[in-house]
Amino acid sequence: MSFVRPLTLWQKAIIYTLLLLGVAAFLTPFLWMVSTALKPLRETMSFPPKWIPSEWQWGNFHRAMIEMGPFWRYLGNTLIICFLSVAGTVMSSALAAYGFARIRWRGRDTVFLIVLATMMIPFPVIMVPIYTLFRELSWTGTFRPLWVPCFLAGAFNVFLLRQFFMTIPQELSEAARIDGCSEWGIFWRVVLPLSRPALLVVALFQFMFSWNDFLGPLIYLTDQQDYTLALGLQSFQSKSGGTSWNLLMAASTLIAVPVIVLFFFTQKSFVEGIATTGSKG
Amino acid sequence: MSRSDWIRLRNGLLFISPWILGFVVLNLYPLLSSFAYSFTDYSVLSDPVYVGTDNYERLLKDGLFWQSLYNTFFFAAFSIPASLAVSLIFAVLLNFELPGRSIFRTIYFLPSLLPLVCLGVLWQWLLNGDIGLINAALDPFFDTFNRIFGTSVRPPNWLADPAFTKPALILTTVWTAGNAVVIFLAGLQDVPRSLYEAAEIDGANFFQKLLHVTLPMISPVIYFNGIMALIGSFQVFALPFIITGGSDGPGRSLMFTATYIYRRAFEYWDMGYACAIGLVLFLFVLVLTLLAHFISQRYTYYQGE
Amino acid sequence: MLGGCSRELPPEAEGRVVIDYWEKWTGFEAEAMQAVVDDFNASQDRIYVRYLPVSQIDRKLLLAIAGGNPPDVAGMWSYAVAAYSENNALTPLDTYVAEAGIVEEDYYPIFWELGLHRGHLWALPSTPATNALHWNKKLFRDAGLDPDKPPRSLAELEAMNEKLLLRDANGRIIRLGHNPQEPGWWNASWVAWFGGEPWTPEDGMLADSPQMREAFAWFESYPERFGGHDLQQLRNSFGNFASPQNPFFTGRVAMTLQGPWLYNFIKDYAPEDFEWGVAPFPSLDPERWPGVTIAESDQLVIPAGAKHPEEAFEFIRYVQQQGPMEKLCLGQKKFSPLVEVSDAFYAEHPNPYIKVFADLAASPNAARTSPITIWNEYRNEMTNAVDTVFLGDATAEDLLPPLQKNMVEAYDRAQERWERVAEQREEEWRQDVEE
Repeated sequence: MSFVRPLTLWQKAIIYTLLLLGVAAFLTPFLWMVSTALKPLRETMSFPPKWIPSEWQWGNFHRAMIEMGPFWRYLGNTLIICFLSVAGTVMSSALAAYGFARIRWRGRDTVFLIVLATMMIPFPVIMVPIYTLFRELSWTGTFRPLWVPCFLAGAFNVFLLRQFFMTIPQELSEAARIDGCSEWGIFWRVVLPLSRPALLVVALFQFMFSWNDFLGPLIYLTDQQDYTLALGLQSFQSKSGGTSWNLLMAASTLIAVPVIVLFFFTQKSFVEGIATTGSKG
Repeated sequence: MSRSDWIRLRNGLLFISPWILGFVVLNLYPLLSSFAYSFTDYSVLSDPVYVGTDNYERLLKDGLFWQSLYNTFFFAAFSIPASLAVSLIFAVLLNFELPGRSIFRTIYFLPSLLPLVCLGVLWQWLLNGDIGLINAALDPFFDTFNRIFGTSVRPPNWLADPAFTKPALILTTVWTAGNAVVIFLAGLQDVPRSLYEAAEIDGANFFQKLLHVTLPMISPVIYFNGIMALIGSFQVFALPFIITGGSDGPGRSLMFTATYIYRRAFEYWDMGYACAIGLVLFLFVLVLTLLAHFISQRYTYYQGE
Repeated sequence: MLGGCSRELPPEAEGRVVIDYWEKWTGFEAEAMQAVVDDFNASQDRIYVRYLPVSQIDRKLLLAIAGGNPPDVAGMWSYAVAAYSENNALTPLDTYVAEAGIVEEDYYPIFWELGLHRGHLWALPSTPATNALHWNKKLFRDAGLDPDKPPRSLAELEAMNEKLLLRDANGRIIRLGHNPQEPGWWNASWVAWFGGEPWTPEDGMLADSPQMREAFAWFESYPERFGGHDLQQLRNSFGNFASPQNPFFTGRVAMTLQGPWLYNFIKDYAPEDFEWGVAPFPSLDPERWPGVTIAESDQLVIPAGAKHPEEAFEFIRYVQQQGPMEKLCLGQKKFSPLVEVSDAFYAEHPNPYIKVFADLAASPNAARTSPITIWNEYRNEMTNAVDTVFLGDATAEDLLPPLQKNMVEAYDRAQERWERVAEQREEEWRQDVEE
């Protein structure tokens, strides 16, 4: 909470202590991943772990990129899918969320419960019909099954944005309406600018999902040149040949770092940006 | 309906039209298909054969199904409040205007950013009863306890002892609650400063402000995270699957309904039956969510309403 | 780097029939197959094979076949042949094989048999495997045993087990001779070493047979002799299989049942001075049942609905020749499923014990996973029962009768499913074969 009164030294000390306790728990997986990435194979997976490799194997990153397959090609594919997915998700779910949050129409709340219900269907039982559908459209083997659905407003994002849209005071819409704004105008000029943090959250989540999604590309892509980074990670896991843990972790680090950097910068803008402009309240 | 009612209906439907299309194509059609399959014997590879209500009758007598349902309810009952409370506390802590908070936020979000395959291997070690880090941290407490009371209790074998696998899973679930933290953080920005100022003038302390200003004002977000935790915990699949290395855990203590559906559908060639289980699970979650929805309506405050 | 396959096909593919081949291998195993694929592509100018590495191939293949979009050739596990073929997901190979002059006698009988189901041939082997006892010679020496004499009967193995047992001052087990749960991959198949089978065509499911009871008596003896809690604690200290903390490499377990691939892991993870041997895993009565092993195989199949079955078979046929087959199996460090083997193959093979695995494949007691469509379900149920016994929570008496009952029900359902379509299937397959 951004409380108004400045914190006393004691309060600060308590908060820092609590936060630092958490850091130990949340940083461990990351440190372990990076340290494994820098080890020779023989030293990986020794438990309890040796945190410092006997020899720093910086070459693992390069080897991992080579063994994964065409790394830059995978990166390009992943970025294309992420870009289209994020664009589609933000646009379509903002529209739909507005329809559920800011316009009172008959039956709205009942239909909204259907939105919620769609998230409860266990995925395995609808996987086959959905696959068959994309197959009928001749979309298997293309990126389309991975991004086109994002343009059709997924329930999670609609729900999330609706919750935020509903906190925007109704008077703002009314004022715009009196100024002659259409419903579209209110959406575009009032609600969207005020919801930047929430839109960023939705965009970030979708990006992370598409970036790390493994199942979708696994099922739909049938050409190695179309593979994504998350799918490329699988090249290090093998049933009988052994897993190259150090390369797997090096590749994982390469894949995780961009998202971590992205998160670092976006969280600043969606948490701090809005507080300083003070657009609300 | 009046003319303005009609206009609102038209506008509303226009705005949600992307969702309607997605719903019909990606939800309704597959759901109806799986409803139809639930009355058939269907191996996915060959054509379904109508068998009436056989699958539903089987389900009533299937001990594994009921065991999986028990596991799922148990997990949901503890993981939902635990992950909600913990993520809210973290969000509040991370929202204080302190130097370095961007870095703290990023660190707290790290477990949600890493590929699952890293986390799975790591957790297996952290939770190991013999050489795991968690028990290494717990050991001193147990030693002190034993010295004082003359007992000889040991920290649990998290993943090997059927009594402790579910608590271990709940622990890891809380660990990856990063998404909920981010949503709470975004929600906290919507609380008007003026309300805090007013409360401070009234002499409210930290907990009073939390209880009377923050919580009501972010109730739409609490509602969101709560409903998502409810839906998510009833479909829990990936985490236990990874932690157990694809098994059901000792004594099948980590066999959840979603895992069982997956096995039936893709390992046992029994899609018809899997669909029947899936629909029953769907109904359970639906009823619970509706219940949660109507109860929370009373406590959820929307500034825009 | 794996040789590329791209939509913009390489120039040499121009004007050829392009065959899509999905395979589960990665790393050096994929490289070995890619080399064979490259040879095939260079050996003729009519067909071009595109190799696609696919993880979780069972799931992807299932959806692709169901969606009518399968590859032309796929790599599968032998235990899946029954379920896939019965569900009409594969193309029968009988005619192709006959025309190509490939005959049963070319192979170890077990690997030919693994491709058969309901009277038709569905798959040919790519790289096969059997399992055998691996023992740590150094630990044998430490315990006063002859490091070059592996146990020849189960009783002998258990006697050695007691000798190899080592507890620390607090009574915790720090070394055990053998534990059937390590690695526990064949928990559903141990009955083979007791002269039994999980299933026979005549009797159906045999989850509660006298032989199964004997196997379970063996399992039950473990918590009785070593203490269920102590065993659990020992298991807890085991590291990941693919790591230097593999209990066999760290010396926590002196004997283990494993396949030829263990060689690759020993090379990568075991200590430099690791001394090991391989011998058949002894059965309850070695006079009656010598050379017991579980044979499995990676197999090549043509999914139903493949666009170019003829050309797909051309490729499979190429792989079945002695030269390419040896190149593949040597590259993957396995043995060849073909009876005819060149001297160079064994001479060049890095695994000094590879012959033991090949000989086991020829043994009359080489067992296979039962060709039943409910195998996955049976394996999960049986594994769970074995785990429960090791926890000391229940006995065979409690577990096996209900397990047998469930399996009979599942089996009857599967039989019913088959009988409903049997005539139609037989008809379709006959036509396929005659074409």
